[in-house]
Amino acid sequence: MKVALKIWRYDAVAGERALREYEIDAPVEATLLDCLDIVKDRVDGTLAYRKSCRMMICGSCGMRMDGAAVLACKVRMSEVAEAGHIPVISAMGNMPIVKDLVVDMEPFWGKIRAVTPFLQPGYADPGEKENIVSQQRMDVIHKESLCIMCGCCVSECNSMEADPDFLGPAALAKGMRFVGDARDQATVERLQEYSGEHGIWDCTRCYFCQERCPKGVDPRDAIAKLGAEAVRAGIDSDMGAKHAKWFVTSAKTTGWLRETELVPKTQGIAKSMKEVKFAMGLLRHGKVPPPFPPHVAKHVEEARALYDLVKHDGAQGAAGIVQGEHALSRLEHAEDGGAAAERGPYGPGSFAEPYLPGEETT
Amino acid sequence: MHDVVVVGAGCAGMRAAIEAFDTGASVGVVSKLHPTRSHSGAAEGGINAALGNAAEDSPEKHAFDTVKGSDYLGDQDAIEILAAEAPGDIYQLEHWGCVFSRNGEGKLAQRPFGAAGSPRTVYSADITGHVLIHVLYEQTMKRMEQGSTPMHVYEEFFAWRLAVEDGRCVGVVCWDLVNGGLRLITGRSVVIATGGMGRIYRVTTNAYACNGDGMAMALHAGVPLKDVEFMQFHPTTLYPSGVLITEACRGEGGYLLNRDGERFMARYAPNALELASRDVVSRSETTEIEAGRDVSGSMLLDLRHLGAERIRTRLPGSRELALTFAGVDPIFDPIPVRPGAHYHMGGIATDNWGATELEGLYAAGEVACVSVHGSNRLGGNSLMETITFGRRAGQAAAERALSAAPAGTVSDVPLVQAQRDLETLLARKDGERPWKIRDELGSSMLENFGVFRYTERMQEQLEIIVALRERYEHVVVEDKGDVFNTDLTQAIELGSMLDVAWCMVQAGLAREESRGSHSRPAEFPERDDERFLKHSVTQWTDGGPELSYKEVRMTKWQPEVRSY
Repeated sequence: MKVALKIWRYDAVAGERALREYEIDAPVEATLLDCLDIVKDRVDGTLAYRKSCRMMICGSCGMRMDGAAVLACKVRMSEVAEAGHIPVISAMGNMPIVKDLVVDMEPFWGKIRAVTPFLQPGYADPGEKENIVSQQRMDVIHKESLCIMCGCCVSECNSMEADPDFLGPAALAKGMRFVGDARDQATVERLQEYSGEHGIWDCTRCYFCQERCPKGVDPRDAIAKLGAEAVRAGIDSDMGAKHAKWFVTSAKTTGWLRETELVPKTQGIAKSMKEVKFAMGLLRHGKVPPPFPPHVAKHVEEARALYDLVKHDGAQGAAGIVQGEHALSRLEHAEDGGAAAERGPYGPGSFAEPYLPGEETT
Repeated sequence: MHDVVVVGAGCAGMRAAIEAFDTGASVGVVSKLHPTRSHSGAAEGGINAALGNAAEDSPEKHAFDTVKGSDYLGDQDAIEILAAEAPGDIYQLEHWGCVFSRNGEGKLAQRPFGAAGSPRTVYSADITGHVLIHVLYEQTMKRMEQGSTPMHVYEEFFAWRLAVEDGRCVGVVCWDLVNGGLRLITGRSVVIATGGMGRIYRVTTNAYACNGDGMAMALHAGVPLKDVEFMQFHPTTLYPSGVLITEACRGEGGYLLNRDGERFMARYAPNALELASRDVVSRSETTEIEAGRDVSGSMLLDLRHLGAERIRTRLPGSRELALTFAGVDPIFDPIPVRPGAHYHMGGIATDNWGATELEGLYAAGEVACVSVHGSNRLGGNSLMETITFGRRAGQAAAERALSAAPAGTVSDVPLVQAQRDLETLLARKDGERPWKIRDELGSSMLENFGVFRYTERMQEQLEIIVALRERYEHVVVEDKGDVFNTDLTQAIELGSMLDVAWCMVQAGLAREESRGSHSRPAEFPERDDERFLKHSVTQWTDGGPELSYKEVRMTKWQPEVRSY
């Protein structure tokens, strides 16, 4: 098939950027990475990008396609080519470009190193055999341990764009991998470390990391889990923590969010006094419902039941046992709703049932 | 100067670096990729250790299965070391935080694997290599900020040549990929752990990085390679991309079917069926394909009967690969698979501590040949080898470095020589670019030096390689820049591939028997212990590779007829 690509080339020595278009012949099954290889081999040997495993596990080939971070080895090009679309390929965001599609990952790794990224087991003598931990307990960190450190989440992080020092989704997911590990004994220290400035509460919850992660690590969920663990451990002095706590209290008691009380609960009474003038303005325009008596949602018991359920399940309730649910659900062939699901594994149109030689065939 | 320089940062390299560091040595790690990008991370099914968590097991049984699997070419003392030390190494990984799967009692879960007499493969779903490489990198990062001389990782440094002085290895000449420029990284001991060379073949599970660099470096420093003719073809590589679908699919109960839906393995290995050793299964598949009982050149790996739940929890990575690269959901349809180049049993000849014939040079992992795999490796043994022998090589390299007399300054002759050669290569303006030579090598090796081998075709392959090497002398590197010049490094890699391929085919032609992965059905269909129960040894001379042989070290097990 014919594939056309526009690639943002960057020459660091000359400091020049240019959008170049390439057209190549590629096999139908070709991925974006295969297409880049063909460009490099047959058109322009100076094109630079990282690659290695080409099977979505080494994390080398993170880049952007039409402005969204992808693993080049994971993107099949046939649909794009058939639609006649010419995608724009560029380097990942939030990291300095070295050349063409290659970024400097050092800022990324620096943040990984900043979360004390190794087990702190708290034992001097680990004993002769393995630690006994149930699979259910290990499942708490299942998604976080799928991370291949490709940088796609960091590339897309809006908070990091505003604050380059923000720890970011990959490092915080790595942090959760240890906080959630039954064998790690530094949970409180970690949660304190991650709750500081540029930490957990600086995430704006835009969910871009979650959306763009090619492995289904769900980094935003990991950050949420860290937040919950921090509050549970009483590490809640950050305004973000207070803000979150008020959401919970409010939802549990009245089944809806009492915004009027949000500001004082988050910022404290003293700080809120500065906002009085603004609040009066809102009041004048009818934007503030009277706080008394509190308005209670009609089916508040449902909100309370939800609260009880989450409280009961704790961290294990948030555990996913399936690799990358989010990433998989975006594949058209995945079970939910696919044609294969409709006919079933052995239905009409499926491949024959297996038999051993000598057995009668059905 | 470092005490120990480790070249390559996959499982073997990082395990060696950690052990050398913990032994008290100052350590530098040189890797052309960031460590977590190494191909060890792509290992899927598991790592073998006789823990006895799933059924009764013992190191003795593990050793016997490995000896038999090797078709009696493995060195039995090395195999006994692997089997005996594996459990301790696994417990240590667990103590470091490795995210292994658990059984109902909360112990490490173990699953059945090919040609293993007991379920002894420890795993993490089907991403075992991934969790191993990340736990090792966690321990590496810890040591990068520890002590007065923390571990230093030279990331994206492309190792090109070994520096040898007075008969000792003293360092490695590297190209700094990010900034450009050659550097000589010096060490009292050097450990090579650069992995395999599957990219010599067109259809391979291996990453683009697996080009046999380490073997070529050793060859050209005068260090012999061992058993290079033995290339393992994995029976289940995904059609068409060639990525690995783990043996764990069969370990969990998957079937292999031909186009009729027949479980054909019953005709080739009536007892072990799909769980016969890899060489046996790959040959059976190739026979079926050649007999026309294929589906577009493939066999089918059928997991449907395992059910959605088991597939989603035990084999999620394989499902993800099948969905992404073949558009097949194994819950509903069988996966098209075929044999593909997977693992090189041969490599740099070492003793049981990873030491090579060159003083100061060690090797571990796939690049090395201790040998524990002989002529056919069992699934789950390669990850274990990287850990156990990576650790041993790291310890030995450190002990030697710490006890050796303090070295003087290292001469810059190797650096100057490399600089000259580099300038010659970059100065060339007209000629062929390397990719066509690479593609022709890959296709012809698959055709002429694959699962089944024939004298005439191997001879033809030797001629092809000689001609390709001739063309390689005139290749042109288009990128002349310093920054991230992969055009240059890929050209250098091709040189390594051509040299290693030459050694392989030469040794294959000379081995007039069928043993393990080396099968010559037409002319020499039987194993010939009389003539060939011995290792091939390849050394580089000015005229090319030169072959000799070496005895296999036996302890308890005499060769028997091998059937599954």
